[in-house]
Amino acid sequence: MVKEVQVDPQLLTKAVDKALEMGAEYAEARYHRVTGFSFTLMNGYLIGASYMDSTGVAIRTIVNGGLGFASTDSLEENDVLESVGRAFKGARASSTIVKDRIGLSRERLGNAKYEVRQQKPIGSVDDSEIITTIQEIYKSLDMNIGIDVKNVLLGFTYNIEDKIIVTSDGAFIESRIPRVNMFYSITAEHGGERANRWNQLGGTGGLELIEDLKLKENLEDDLRSLKIYLVEAGTPPRGKMDVVIGPEVVGLAVHESAGHPSEADRVMGREAAQAGLSYRRRMKTGEKIGSEHATVIDDPTIPGSYGFYLYDDEGVPARPRYLIRNGVLDEFLHNRETAYAMNTQSNASARAKEWWAEPIVRMANTYFAPGDYRFEELIEDIKHGIYIKKYMEWNIDDYRWVARYVGLEAYEIKDGRLVRPVKNPALEVNSLEFYSSVDAVGRDLEFQAGTCGKGEPGQGVPVWFGGPHIRLRGVRIL
Amino acid sequence: MNVVELVEEIVKIVKDTVPEYVVILDEKTSTMLKIANGQPSVVQSWKEYWIDLYAAKDQKIMASSFRFSKPEEAVQKTVKIIDKLQPSPLYAPLPDPSGKPYSLVDKTLEEMAITGDVTRLIEDLELGELPNSAGAITVSIEKRVLRTSNGADLEGARTHFNGYMRIFADDDSSGQWSWTSTKYDPIQAKKSISTAVNLAEECKKLPREKIETGKYRVLLSPMVAGNLIESVIRAASGASVIFGMSFFRPDQIGQQLASEKLTIIDRPLMESLPGFSTFDDEGVATRDKPIIERGVLKTLLHNSKTAKLLKAETTGNAGIIWPTAFNIEVVPGDLNDEEMMEVLGNGLYATNNWYTRFQNYPEGLFSTVTRDALIVVKNGKPAGCAARARITGSMLDLIKNVEAVGKTRWPIEWWEVRLPSLLPHLLISEIGITSE
Repeated sequence: MVKEVQVDPQLLTKAVDKALEMGAEYAEARYHRVTGFSFTLMNGYLIGASYMDSTGVAIRTIVNGGLGFASTDSLEENDVLESVGRAFKGARASSTIVKDRIGLSRERLGNAKYEVRQQKPIGSVDDSEIITTIQEIYKSLDMNIGIDVKNVLLGFTYNIEDKIIVTSDGAFIESRIPRVNMFYSITAEHGGERANRWNQLGGTGGLELIEDLKLKENLEDDLRSLKIYLVEAGTPPRGKMDVVIGPEVVGLAVHESAGHPSEADRVMGREAAQAGLSYRRRMKTGEKIGSEHATVIDDPTIPGSYGFYLYDDEGVPARPRYLIRNGVLDEFLHNRETAYAMNTQSNASARAKEWWAEPIVRMANTYFAPGDYRFEELIEDIKHGIYIKKYMEWNIDDYRWVARYVGLEAYEIKDGRLVRPVKNPALEVNSLEFYSSVDAVGRDLEFQAGTCGKGEPGQGVPVWFGGPHIRLRGVRIL
Repeated sequence: MNVVELVEEIVKIVKDTVPEYVVILDEKTSTMLKIANGQPSVVQSWKEYWIDLYAAKDQKIMASSFRFSKPEEAVQKTVKIIDKLQPSPLYAPLPDPSGKPYSLVDKTLEEMAITGDVTRLIEDLELGELPNSAGAITVSIEKRVLRTSNGADLEGARTHFNGYMRIFADDDSSGQWSWTSTKYDPIQAKKSISTAVNLAEECKKLPREKIETGKYRVLLSPMVAGNLIESVIRAASGASVIFGMSFFRPDQIGQQLASEKLTIIDRPLMESLPGFSTFDDEGVATRDKPIIERGVLKTLLHNSKTAKLLKAETTGNAGIIWPTAFNIEVVPGDLNDEEMMEVLGNGLYATNNWYTRFQNYPEGLFSTVTRDALIVVKNGKPAGCAARARITGSMLDLIKNVEAVGKTRWPIEWWEVRLPSLLPHLLISEIGITSE
C-alpha cells in the first residue's frame, strides 16, 4: 500500500481542528508530494538531468462565506498551523465584501487508500540506465529520410504523486500515482524551408511505460510527417468542404471546445480574468450543440491514463462525466464549490497540481466517443475535401467558441481518395458548427497526453484527450 | 532555519562531491486576492522556498529543482548520480562572478505579503465598489541567496505588486488591463482598473461591427504588444536558437529584421519593474541591453552555456539552462494615444489577446486570439466594437510592420505577459485577421 509518506496524518487532522476552533465553517488539509527525475537529450546527447521534490501542506478554509487558501513547504507542526492562521485570515478578510457566500456541496465523501500498480516500479532501475535506454531508442532511428533533421530535443520524466486529504466533513483519501511522461521537438529543413513537430506521450504506471508509450514508433512517424510537410505538401484547397480529422485533432478539439467550456467555475466566471468564460453561459444544459453522433466524455477512471484518479482533491469519488451526449449539452464539470453555487452535486473534478495550489475544476481524460466507421468509409463518399491527421498550431477564443486547428500532416481528398499532401490547412470553426457537422464517427480510439493549463498561479495538470477519426460536413478551411 | 543556513547546508553536501555548483534559494512570501463576479473568490497565501541546484563534474551536468524546505535527500541523489552521466554538449565552465547584491524592498508590500491581510488592498483599490469584474492582485516579498563554487556569494531582495482586472459592462463588452511595480502603487493600480472600465463601457456604447477576414492595419494595446513581444524575447534566447525553437538565427545579429521604429531592451536594472536583479543565475552582473535597436537584432540572450555553443559571450541572462530576459522595455515614440488613433485611420484597435501559438517556430508562423474590446476604427475614431478575431501571420512580418510607437507607456504583467514590461501602443501597418 501507500509508502514513503512523510507526514503523520494526525498533523492534518490537527490543522483541520484548529481551523474549526478558530471559527471556520469548513477546513481541509492536504499533504501533497511530487518527487521525480527528468533528463533531456539533444540529438541523442545528454544535456542535463534533474531531480525534483515538491512537498508541502495546503490548507483551505471557509469563514463567513469567504474562502482562504494557504500553504507551506514545511511539514513542521508550527508551520502547518501557522498556515491555518493565514488561510483563516484571508478568508475572513475577503468575507467582508463577499456578496454571494461561498460554500461546498454536501457529498458522499471517500475514506480510502489507493495506489496505481507499477509493473516495473520506478526505482527498480538505476536512473542512469533509463537515460541509456532512451538514448538507444534515439540511436535506432533512421535519420536519412531525405530531409535535414536539424535538432531533436527529447525529454523524459517520471514522478510519483503522493497525497493525503483530510476534510472537516469526513473525507480521508490517501493516494499514490506514478507517471511517466516523454516529449520531443523535432526541427527539420528542406530546400530552405524549416518546420518543427512537438509531441508528448504520457500515462500512469511504472517504467513499463517507456515501452508501452511507443516512443520509437511516434518519433519515426513524426519524422515521416515532417518529410511529407517539407518535401511533398502543396497549397491546400480553401473554402467550405468536407473534412476528416484524425484522433490527435479530435482529442484536442473536444478538450478545448467541450471540456473547458463545461468547467462550471469557468461558466460561473471564477476564471474570467485568466482562462476566460464559456459559451455554456448562454447555451443551457439540454440544448442541442451537435449531431446525434457527437458524444464527449471526461473520465478520470481510465486505467493507465495520464489524467487518472479515483477520488478528487476534495475527497469525492470519481466517475465518467458526459459533457455532450448524442449532440446535447449534458453535465458540467463540478467541484464542491461550483456544485454548491449551482445547487447540484460535485462530479469529482477538483484537482490541485501541487501543495501550493488550490483545488479547482479540471478535466481528466476527455474523449469523443467512437462510432463504427472504418477510415476508408469515412472518406469514400467525399468528392472534395481535406484530411487533417496532425496539427501544430491551435487556439480558441476565451468563450471557447471559435477554434482554429492548423494541419501539419494533411491531405487533399478527391473522389473518396487521398490524392496529395497539403500544407497548413487551417480549420476555423465555431463549437456549434463543429459538433453539428459531424455525420460519421470512426471505430478507432486513440489518446494523446497533454498538460492542461488553468488557474492563477498556473496549474498545469496531466490529462489525456482523444477520440476516433470523425467526418465534418461543409466546414471552413482557410 | 533561515535561508542562508539552508543554503549553507546544501553547499556542505555538494562541495566535496562536485567541483562546480550553483545553489539558488528563492524565498517567496506572497498573498493573492482573486476576484470574480465583482467579489473575492479566494485569498491565497504562500510561504515557500524554491531551491535550484546546478552541479557539474567532468563536463556532466545536473540541474535539480526543489520546492521543499528539507531537500537534503534530493540533493544527495543529485550529486550521487552525476558520475554515471555522460558529458553534456551544453557544458561550459561557470563564469567569474561579477554580480552585486541588491535590496529593493517596499515595507508596505513586505508587511502585506507576510501578514496575508488583504483588507488594505480592498480599501485602497476600492474593490468593494467595482462593477462586474474579475482579476487577481498579488503582493510579494522575494528574497534570493546564490552561492557558486567559484566564489559568488550574493543576496537579493525585492518586493512585487502586480495585478490585472477584467471589467464587464455586459457579456459582450469587456475591458482588461494590468499593472506591475516593485512599490506599493495603488494610484497606478486604480489607473489600470479605470482603463479596463473605460474600454468595457466604450465597447458597450459602440455599435456591434462584423469584421471580415483579410489584411488590416491594427493598433496593439500595451497588453497585446507585451504578449507578442514576449514571443520575440523567447525566440531571442540562445537556448531557443540552439533547440530549433526560434525564428532568429545567430548570423542575423546586426541585420535589420524589424522596423526602425522598434527598440526592445532587456532592463534588469530598471528599479520600477519587478524583474529587477543585479545578478543572474550564474552570479554574473546583469546589464541593460537592447535586443532589437531601431529594428536591428543586436544580441541573443546568453548564459555561459549557450554563449559557448553559439560562440558569443554571456549577456548576464542565465537561467542555468535557458537564458531569459528580466524586464522588457519598448522605447516610446512621440505620438500620444489620440494621435496613434489618427495615424491608424481605418483599422482595428486590439486591446487584449491570449492563446498565442506557433504553427512553425523556425518560420515564426503564429496566430493569437483577441479578447475584450476589439474596436473598429474609422477615420481615426472608434466606430464599432467587434467580436473576437484572430491575428495571424509571421512574427518577423509583424515586427517589420511596426509603423508607429506610442508615447505613453504602461507597466504590464499578467497571465499572458509573464515578463514585467514597460510598453507603449504599437501600430502595425498590415497583419492578417480572421473572423467568424
